[in-house]
Amino acid sequence: MESNAGTKETRSNLTASDGGEVTAFESLQFTDEIHRLILAPTTDNSSSFTALLELPPPQAVELLHSPDSPKLIAASPPNVEDFQGSFRFPSNSGLIERDARFSLFSGEANNSNEKRNSPESKNVSANPEKNVKSEPAETESSQPLVSDPTVEKRSIKRKDRENKVKGSTKKSKTVANENSEDAEKLPYVHVRARRGQATDSHSLAERARREKINARMKLLQELVPGCNKISGTALVLDEIINHVQSLQRQVEFLSMRLAAVNPRIDFNLDSVFTSESGSLMDSNFPSLVMPAIWPEVQGNGHRQQYQHQWHLDTLQQPVWGREEVCNNYITPENSLLTYDSSANSATLQANHLKMEL
Amino acid sequence: MDLQNMNPSSLKSRFATRFLRALTKINAQKPISSSSSREIFQRYRRIKVAADKSMAYSVRSRRSWSRATLWRLRTRSPRSRLATLARRSSVKTRTTRAASHGATVVDRKSHGKENKEDGGVEAEELRELVPGGEAMDLCNLLDETAHYIKCLTTQVQVMRTIANLYSLH
Repeated sequence: MESNAGTKETRSNLTASDGGEVTAFESLQFTDEIHRLILAPTTDNSSSFTALLELPPPQAVELLHSPDSPKLIAASPPNVEDFQGSFRFPSNSGLIERDARFSLFSGEANNSNEKRNSPESKNVSANPEKNVKSEPAETESSQPLVSDPTVEKRSIKRKDRENKVKGSTKKSKTVANENSEDAEKLPYVHVRARRGQATDSHSLAERARREKINARMKLLQELVPGCNKISGTALVLDEIINHVQSLQRQVEFLSMRLAAVNPRIDFNLDSVFTSESGSLMDSNFPSLVMPAIWPEVQGNGHRQQYQHQWHLDTLQQPVWGREEVCNNYITPENSLLTYDSSANSATLQANHLKMEL
Repeated sequence: MDLQNMNPSSLKSRFATRFLRALTKINAQKPISSSSSREIFQRYRRIKVAADKSMAYSVRSRRSWSRATLWRLRTRSPRSRLATLARRSSVKTRTTRAASHGATVVDRKSHGKENKEDGGVEAEELRELVPGGEAMDLCNLLDETAHYIKCLTTQVQVMRTIANLYSLH
């Protein structure tokens, strides 16, 4: 079943460039794919490109030459070079993928006896499910994170639709028969639509957009605490709005707090760093384990880099470089022994900040 | 336990360093001893601006909302009249926030719904909240909102820690 394998591969490659934005890399992949399709040795007396559509070659060529199917991949193989220049948008590759999938329906319905309807629909629905399962596995390896939920959503939706197909009886079969008949009669096949959905180009673009939006809403739901249980776009948006407003208000309150609290401290961070004496560094302090204030303390060995950057960035004081030896918490008792209180609080403060940040 | 294991170029540390720098500058400017309410209010405003500014600078221009914030900060009150004129005529923002907010809301509602099929009234509210959100479609708006929420959370964390530190003494 070379054509089948080729089909699956091409379909999965198409889905690899589906979903999300078309990056240059993906478009290159697409170009390569198309070149491979063109140049690959033909199997079963048909180019693998037409094997993709699983239609008999003359119909496929007719299909390719169809004037008003702007969303199919290209006109005919020689025209693919032109296609290279003008790349389609992701929604189109999504359509192509659906296209290919639907042609699986029509193709198999065509090839086999139309009397054998029930095993047909079962076969048809079994195959795409396998393809569907392989697709997410392949796409995950090659996709950025954002498009993953989109693709998975699409594949999940396809699975749901497959289940619906299995559940529904005569109506779907007759629809499949009708569509397959249309495929035979008409020169071009609008095989982009899913079963039972409108084939309008506008509605398809709308659907792609809506899927994108739904994926992003899901991400937002995870970000905002307490949003997982709410269903419905409007309520979720309300929650998000409340969250953003509360965060902004928190920033305002905190800045007011900082403005009010500061006057009590009678030191300047700059003066702290300039007036720090060397002996402070040389003395040994008991090492205490500070509670981790930052929730995300990563386990890298970046300490030295961080300190270096810190002292280059803000302070430009060589003093901090020496601090890496004694990564310690300066207790008030220790400092009181040697220095006056204001300097103590200052250094204590500065070290606090350094530790905790 | 190694405390200095944070990623030195994470959003948190970038924002923290910038904000602290700005904070020390503000502290240096004014005599800290004065604690009249007006002074405090002025300091509050400066600190708030500094916080937003340092957060926007930490994100650079990678995000639309940070670009909008930086732009808004640059064309602020020093050149207020020119700024509002420039903002009105610019392509970037459809409506000016400084101008009559109430009047424009009505316009925006009537036009916004036609131009962009969106989540309705909530999306409009979200656009007002997120800086630079007025000129985005729903898809990008949700993207920007997610990143904006993440950055706001970071900001709140850092500022809270600093405020706690300061209030210890």
